[in-house]
Amino acid sequence: MHQSKLRSWRLPVTASVVLLGATALTACSGDGGSAGAGSEDGYEIAVLLSSSQNGYNQAVAKGVQEMADELDADINLTLLDGQFNADTQLSQMETAGVGDKYDGVVVVPFDGPALAAAFPLGNGIPVTSVLNPIGPDLSEMEPQVEGVVSTVAVPAGEAAAKQAEDVVTYCADLDPCKVVLLVGQLNAPLDVTREESYREVLEAEDNIEIVTTVEGNYDPDQSATTITNVLQSTPDVNVILSNADQQTKGAQIALEDAGIDPSTVYLTGGGGTTESIQNVRDGIWKADYINFPVSMGAAAMEQLYNALTGADVESYVNADEVGEIEPYATKETLDETPDYVGEWEG
Amino acid sequence: MTSTTARTTAPRITPAKALAFLRDYAVLILLAALLIVLAIASPSFFTFANLVNIVNQNTPLALIAVAGTFVIISGSFDLSTAAIYAVGSVAAAWVAMETGNVVLGLLAPPVIGLALGVFNGLAVTVLRVHSFLATLASSLIFQAIAVLITGGALIQVSLDGFSELGRGRIGGVFYTVVILIVFVAIMWFVLKGTVFGRHVFAVGGNPDAAQLSGVRVDRTRVMVFALSGLAAGMAAAIGVSRIASGQPQAGAGLEFDAIAAIILGGTSIYGGVGAVWRSVAGVFLIALIGNGFDILGFNPQIKDLVTGAIILAAVGLAAAGIKRR
Repeated sequence: MHQSKLRSWRLPVTASVVLLGATALTACSGDGGSAGAGSEDGYEIAVLLSSSQNGYNQAVAKGVQEMADELDADINLTLLDGQFNADTQLSQMETAGVGDKYDGVVVVPFDGPALAAAFPLGNGIPVTSVLNPIGPDLSEMEPQVEGVVSTVAVPAGEAAAKQAEDVVTYCADLDPCKVVLLVGQLNAPLDVTREESYREVLEAEDNIEIVTTVEGNYDPDQSATTITNVLQSTPDVNVILSNADQQTKGAQIALEDAGIDPSTVYLTGGGGTTESIQNVRDGIWKADYINFPVSMGAAAMEQLYNALTGADVESYVNADEVGEIEPYATKETLDETPDYVGEWEG
Repeated sequence: MTSTTARTTAPRITPAKALAFLRDYAVLILLAALLIVLAIASPSFFTFANLVNIVNQNTPLALIAVAGTFVIISGSFDLSTAAIYAVGSVAAAWVAMETGNVVLGLLAPPVIGLALGVFNGLAVTVLRVHSFLATLASSLIFQAIAVLITGGALIQVSLDGFSELGRGRIGGVFYTVVILIVFVAIMWFVLKGTVFGRHVFAVGGNPDAAQLSGVRVDRTRVMVFALSGLAAGMAAAIGVSRIASGQPQAGAGLEFDAIAAIILGGTSIYGGVGAVWRSVAGVFLIALIGNGFDILGFNPQIKDLVTGAIILAAVGLAAAGIKRR
């Protein structure tokens, strides 16, 4: 009796859930099915983010949108979420590369070498890449595959080397100078390149001792955990060299929890979030490698538009030069630009 | 005569008994072995500060695993705990910043977690969808809610006292450690010493028999999912307090870590068998591997390899005992 009663209203409940989902899908789809029609009816642009749930990617998308509005060319953007998954983004690129739905693509590659497999695109539409190049060589900023017209980035190895060189300067009077490398993910080619660059610069100095390399996974909580562990064996660490602001924030928490004043350690990050810039201004962090994701997105959209309209295209836009200030920020450089607050929240 | 009596009364260790012991206590044996190895390998390991840190760092995972033990013993899975954690994380930050009330902000995740857990329980019992699929689907819904609350970005919390829950201490011990100890004690008692606990085992062992015996199977299932949601919410409150920012991607992977710890501890994946202490041991076995790697400065690229090998060893030990029997 009880079970049959349940069964009798299970069907309507299930049907309602399915109908609700279908209605939501219909409502969300809008006119996304319309085909790209080139200059006569404006442009349909696919924006392939490595993740839509990530502040950096959202800042890039914001820049793309701002430039699309500024160009006043009836540009319609469709954002696609790569979910931090190389296969997902590859599929999205392959889908964008067939048919006539899109006129062009702006992409933030999750895995540039893997994404190269989608090229050349079947429909030959132009693609601009932000943050990383598409192709096997992560240090090569000129287009490596047919179809990519412009890359807005800075070689990861170069940026990492700049960070490491500043560490060398800081360590000049310390012997030994104990350095912990806090990198994102050691299964990601970009982060492996960064770690290699750090080591190449630091290992050339006799007074610098690289204590260990740990993964922060771009997560403050995980970074706090791993740096807390490292501090158990190396409480007298001099430098924590991180490639991402979220990780540096975690390192700061770990130092504070261990009773160490973070300003007594060389803390540096990468990204240029509003919080990190404030930390550098306050002297809590010694430096930060600033990214300009909004400006980078805008530059990528501009170059894509140039390609679509037959104007001159810059095949490589140096991402360090698109922002308002010097990218390698210290308290001294930021004091020269007191109004700068950063382009994104971490 | 005397020698004969002695021979008949002295406990004999047979290979079968030894294997049964290994099966039952594989996780504790490996935990003890790892403790000894790490204590020998690094003088920094076996210190009060480090051990407290390990417990503090893993409190969110342990809370989820302890509550998840009830879910798995009852024959279900909860794959939505990480998504509940994410919703709780952003909700706490949002409420705190909107109201300026730290207490209200930190109370939001457990309340929301409890509600989402009840939702899971109802999805499983009313729609009769397998818990694996129901919570997989609900995790997508919850994750989307977390993204919608923040628009995908993070919410910084700059209120005094917000970090006290995650980073505050009493007598050198983090509040979170005290919370974990109390929670484990209560859950241990609930599972072993209450009617509800016996119902959880009964539902996982044989739901039809339990129903015929008068156990309200559906209500028990809803309650275990509610408990799981509550624990994920509590974990979120601690996590968001620790880093003072709510993030929609917070807690990613926690659901699988929790299930791995529960199974590693020896709770049966088929339901009906398990214990709270086993999951706690499973959590800290995995935690020690991570701590050991960081303290000893080993290459993090092989951490997953070692973790996988140890999990396989523990599960293999347990399986060896079962085969023998």
